[in-house]
Amino acid sequence: MTLLKTHLYDEHVKLNAKIVPFAGWDMPVQYTSVKDEVLAIRNNVGVFDVSHMGEFFVEGKDAEQFVDYLVTNDIIGAPTGKAIYSPLCRDNGTVIDDLIVYKLAPGRVLICVNASNIDKDFLWIKSQLHGFDCTLKNKSDEYSLLALQGPKSYQILKPLLKELPDLEYYSVFETQFEGAPVIIARTGYTGEDGFEVFGDHACIKHLWQIFMNNGVVPCGLAARDVLRLEVCYPLYGHELNDELNPYDAGLGWTVKGQKARFIGKAALADKKAHYKLFKLTLDRGIPREGYQVLNGKNEVIGIITSGTMSVVTNKGIAFARIQIDKVPVDEVFLVDIRQKPYAAQLVKKPFVTGGHK
Amino acid sequence: MSTNIPANLKYTKEHEWVLVEGETISVGITDFAQSALGDIVFLEVPQIGVELKEGSTFGVVESIKSVSDLYTPVSGEVTARNTDIESSPEKINQDAYGAWLIKVKIKNASDLNKLLTAQQYQEFCNTSH
Repeated sequence: MTLLKTHLYDEHVKLNAKIVPFAGWDMPVQYTSVKDEVLAIRNNVGVFDVSHMGEFFVEGKDAEQFVDYLVTNDIIGAPTGKAIYSPLCRDNGTVIDDLIVYKLAPGRVLICVNASNIDKDFLWIKSQLHGFDCTLKNKSDEYSLLALQGPKSYQILKPLLKELPDLEYYSVFETQFEGAPVIIARTGYTGEDGFEVFGDHACIKHLWQIFMNNGVVPCGLAARDVLRLEVCYPLYGHELNDELNPYDAGLGWTVKGQKARFIGKAALADKKAHYKLFKLTLDRGIPREGYQVLNGKNEVIGIITSGTMSVVTNKGIAFARIQIDKVPVDEVFLVDIRQKPYAAQLVKKPFVTGGHK
Repeated sequence: MSTNIPANLKYTKEHEWVLVEGETISVGITDFAQSALGDIVFLEVPQIGVELKEGSTFGVVESIKSVSDLYTPVSGEVTARNTDIESSPEKINQDAYGAWLIKVKIKNASDLNKLLTAQQYQEFCNTSH
């Protein structure tokens, strides 16, 4: 199989990035040091090429109604200009993908989906269109996408655009960069302030080059994974998958049962979870995906779905998926690392508090 | 990829370096290995007194992204472990050849013959990556 390359591939090679296969793409995993890249975004500013992600446009009279029907979160109730995170579920409540819906204008909605799920999502969404007066277009091949993240994002981006108001977090705005239309969203996957910029390949490539000349730190997928896990954002294929419902992954807050209708409503009405997702931190040892989680009696109660060493706390951090009937009341969790149990502390709040608005 | 491979050391195909000092060896990981791993954040090595068998794993080194086994270059007993590197494993990234991990008392001197010379290791790195 030939791996796809984003239009910035040559820029990554020029920067000496380590390139790895990811979701069918050749993607930069690291440029210099994962630590330095994480800290650049927490304290300063960095940028990711996330052009592998998918962009679907829903346009027409019923665009908002259709997307509201597709996803579990409330789309109709949100004002134009908002971005809304939501799972996309089947009738039985299992999660096809998690995505962000951008309400660009009345009758015009952008859906940004995970790269690994573009084909699956598109087929599913297309199959649901019947009865709605709107069109669906997969424009993933026409758009490149950068995520500029970190406390200095606004001051870097503002002078480059025709106009950039001080947008609220999770909102979206259409403007121009060097005469080309771009979509700017105050979103990201790091917990820090920042912007995602959707545009055509040539303009995004030039924007990337300007970022590099302005001292923005290029950041790879390894740093992105640490950043999202530090602030406890789920990742499809890890905390979420085709067998789980939103409640299994702690995403009950995205299921708006009061909506008149949406796919999966009946199945999700009882809010039944088979698993509970916990945040664990370890003083010693690094929890990794697939490691078993044990209770105080050394019985297996679940698995680590994502784990790493936090750059900010310098401790092992992880999401653990625990079977609902095996949640330990004494809150004693151990992680089996190479056949040895390591004590893990249960944490209620995210490991790191991001600085987003 | 340019790597630093000192001529006075011996090497394994698993990217450990070996410094022979009389009847004892010091073991670390090569510059090539530290560069491939990235930011090293965790090290696990055996207690002093443990008997190691040539070719078996003796510990792990973890970077932010990955876990890698460490392989025993020469059979023998662990006589020392570098607690300084255990508490600051990032020093391996800074100076791979200054960061020995354990010392082993050589049991069979013939094991040393199986190790690669600097030139052989250089060729191995060139052809396998």
